[in-house]
Amino acid sequence: MTRAARPYYVPVGNEEQVFKAAFRQGLSVMLKGPTGCGKTRFVEAMAHDLGRPLITVACHDDITTADLVGRFLLRGGDTEWVDGPLTRAVRDGAVCYLDEVVEARQDTTVVLHPLADHRRQLPIDRLGITVDAAAGFCLVVSYNPGYQSVLKDLKDSTRQRMIAIELGFPPADVEEKILVHETGIGQETAARLVQLGQAIRRAEAAGLREVASTRVLIAAGRLAAGGLELRDAARAAVAGSLTDDPLLTAGLIEMIDVYLAD
Amino acid sequence: MTTLSAAIEPASPDPARRRGKLGRFRLLASGIAGRSLDVMPAAPGEHPWTDGMTIFLDDGASAPGQVAALAVQASLIAAGSLEPGVARRLAGRPALTRRYLAVEGHRALAASEDVLPRPVRSLIERHIAARADSPAASLALALGREPVVEPPASFGAIRPRRLLASTDRRQAVPAEWAGPGRWRDIVRREPDEDAETDGPGDVAAFFSSPGAGRGALAWLLRRVLRLGREPAGGPLGAATSVTTRLAPWRGSGATPGTGAAPTLAGMAAPERRGRTYPEWDVNRGRYRLNWCTVNEVDPRPENGAALLVPDGPTLLRPLARLGLGLGRFHRRLQGDDVDIDAAVEARVDALAGALHDHAVYVETLRRRRDLAVLLLLDISGSSAESAGEGKTVHEQQRAAAAMLALALHALGDRVALYGFYSQGRSAVHLVRVKSFNDGLDTLVMRRLGGLVPGGYTRLGAAIRHGAFMVEDRGGTSRRLLVVLSDGLAYDHGYEGRYGEADSPRALAETRRRGTGCLCLGFGAGADLTGLRRVFGTAAHANVARLDQLAGVIGPLFRSALEARRMA
Repeated sequence: MTRAARPYYVPVGNEEQVFKAAFRQGLSVMLKGPTGCGKTRFVEAMAHDLGRPLITVACHDDITTADLVGRFLLRGGDTEWVDGPLTRAVRDGAVCYLDEVVEARQDTTVVLHPLADHRRQLPIDRLGITVDAAAGFCLVVSYNPGYQSVLKDLKDSTRQRMIAIELGFPPADVEEKILVHETGIGQETAARLVQLGQAIRRAEAAGLREVASTRVLIAAGRLAAGGLELRDAARAAVAGSLTDDPLLTAGLIEMIDVYLAD
Repeated sequence: MTTLSAAIEPASPDPARRRGKLGRFRLLASGIAGRSLDVMPAAPGEHPWTDGMTIFLDDGASAPGQVAALAVQASLIAAGSLEPGVARRLAGRPALTRRYLAVEGHRALAASEDVLPRPVRSLIERHIAARADSPAASLALALGREPVVEPPASFGAIRPRRLLASTDRRQAVPAEWAGPGRWRDIVRREPDEDAETDGPGDVAAFFSSPGAGRGALAWLLRRVLRLGREPAGGPLGAATSVTTRLAPWRGSGATPGTGAAPTLAGMAAPERRGRTYPEWDVNRGRYRLNWCTVNEVDPRPENGAALLVPDGPTLLRPLARLGLGLGRFHRRLQGDDVDIDAAVEARVDALAGALHDHAVYVETLRRRRDLAVLLLLDISGSSAESAGEGKTVHEQQRAAAAMLALALHALGDRVALYGFYSQGRSAVHLVRVKSFNDGLDTLVMRRLGGLVPGGYTRLGAAIRHGAFMVEDRGGTSRRLLVVLSDGLAYDHGYEGRYGEADSPRALAETRRRGTGCLCLGFGAGADLTGLRRVFGTAAHANVARLDQLAGVIGPLFRSALEARRMA
């Protein structure tokens, strides 16, 4: 069976070296960066490079410790223990990626502590056992500090058990390369979309809650590759997705018209 | 001789209407400049120009012409071409200003080239842009005798005095408070930019420069120079005067610069009784005990019009969802999920022949509300600053306070609302708008509507007394202190690092006692770093527009309540 292709990720700094060094040392990793800047893709690429399976958990408000660690289920008259994704990753030596970890309640993320420090163990109270992490296990969490910092945060005791990698939007030349690769559009079109994206990012202070991420630019590029006129593609993928406010939408459409004019 | 321009065009109450179609350019301008900018129509016959916060464009020009002019002005802002140091050198010297624009315009456009729309890039004359690498170099070229190519019409104009006046208005708050008066509340009608002169404007500009000091002498000179430009016998605010009084506190009758204490509209004299509180002295690393005295003040509502609560997304839904948060209760007789542990135990008991419990479900229940909230509204003079959208920070904060009070009251929470301002450590005043035991009626809305900004901000003492009130009078086990403020901690002996260190201390003390703290700032141009410094690790957010409040208030309240005792 042939190995899957490496997920496309272009490094913009030394993040790959930092991640791999942390992996080799058994350290947990905290990824910080804005929505759509490539955090998930980065983890996918790292798991591929390191030859480890990747188990991803999208965190949310109602996630419980049992959702991560596992629970007993009733099967007929018997009970059966079913590992949660975190326990599976610990046993199998996988990369466990907790996406948007600050969405989970702090009493839930405390379960990560013994795993994230030198012990690398997962106590499972309900089974009365402690599982040592298999070789190759790596805990990775991610969140968007710009969006979350004032609303939610990781406990300091959780944060300090991890090394941090900060990711931002890639520089223009790298982002153009990504757009060309991900969408199939030409270099010139990619450059114009990237310029639009960068101008919108600079306009963040004008009231936009989120700026144009690499992800939305890729979506616009894909619509264009699918046959849509570029400005229509950007209106659907960028203006429509960033805001519902009519004034801001009009401003975004003006920017799209100015930057993507033929 | 300095000529004075005609009266300032009266501002329409609706900025969106004044912007008209130009409003669509605000994001573009902000994107090029890298910070929030407004776009408004210029007066008829005026060249495009900017005061550093707003770009004024010819409403009747073609769209490409408007984009080009906007790009030039936004690039000048982004490149630092219009900083006060440069503007002071250009003030009153139109020929020099024109030469400066002819060079610096190209340099600024070239510096912003990466973010300029393609059609605008053709404006850049690279050989001119290459002649200077900074605003100072462009200024040196303009001051020299070498010929300079006249700038194209799309470059518009630079209006140094308007830039300086705008900078004054934005930055004068803490600086002027250090002086004996508050003449920041005076807006000068600026002399005509086209009049070349070395008149008093330049001298005034010198004395308003940071290098000229902010002491009493500098203040006096500035004051004298300003008064010198007022017509004889023309009182401040008179129709014929060249100054316009913004009336930061109505009905006070006080003139700026008297140093008199601000008298808030319709407010009774502060009560003599007061509580004393400590204050954190960051310089000595210890508290100053009994340092501040806080008085509670009753306003006279008859002077205020009832505040009209703005239409917009109601806060009821996010707050209702918050206060009645879902809790998962185990071992229930009914529920929406199986309680696995209880079920396993029940099964084991059944197999063992023991009496087993049928309560094997997890039920999701809404918890009873048990919440007291004290809203602390900053009514110090700094809140009279513009928050954009044609509203002041005070108006935004006041409307938000009304919306929060109405929503929390409707949900059955205990709510109190107090304004606060200060005049030194012995006179920190909390103005009662609604106590916990008052009903929420027209009287309260009139008191709220009658609040007018004035005085200073001794934030720490206000927070400490607010915390005392919610803890002493709230009567619930869950308590929350909500501070609506621009975060500008400033009072006599309460400046800079000192004031910024005391406020987070006061918030942390409050949270340690189990009262949640939440701080809200308003306005698109708020200093987020400053807010973070002053509010520390307390839950805080800046809301650019009032209609965005509904989107953040729920998570913020939840965060504030969860953060209790974690300080």
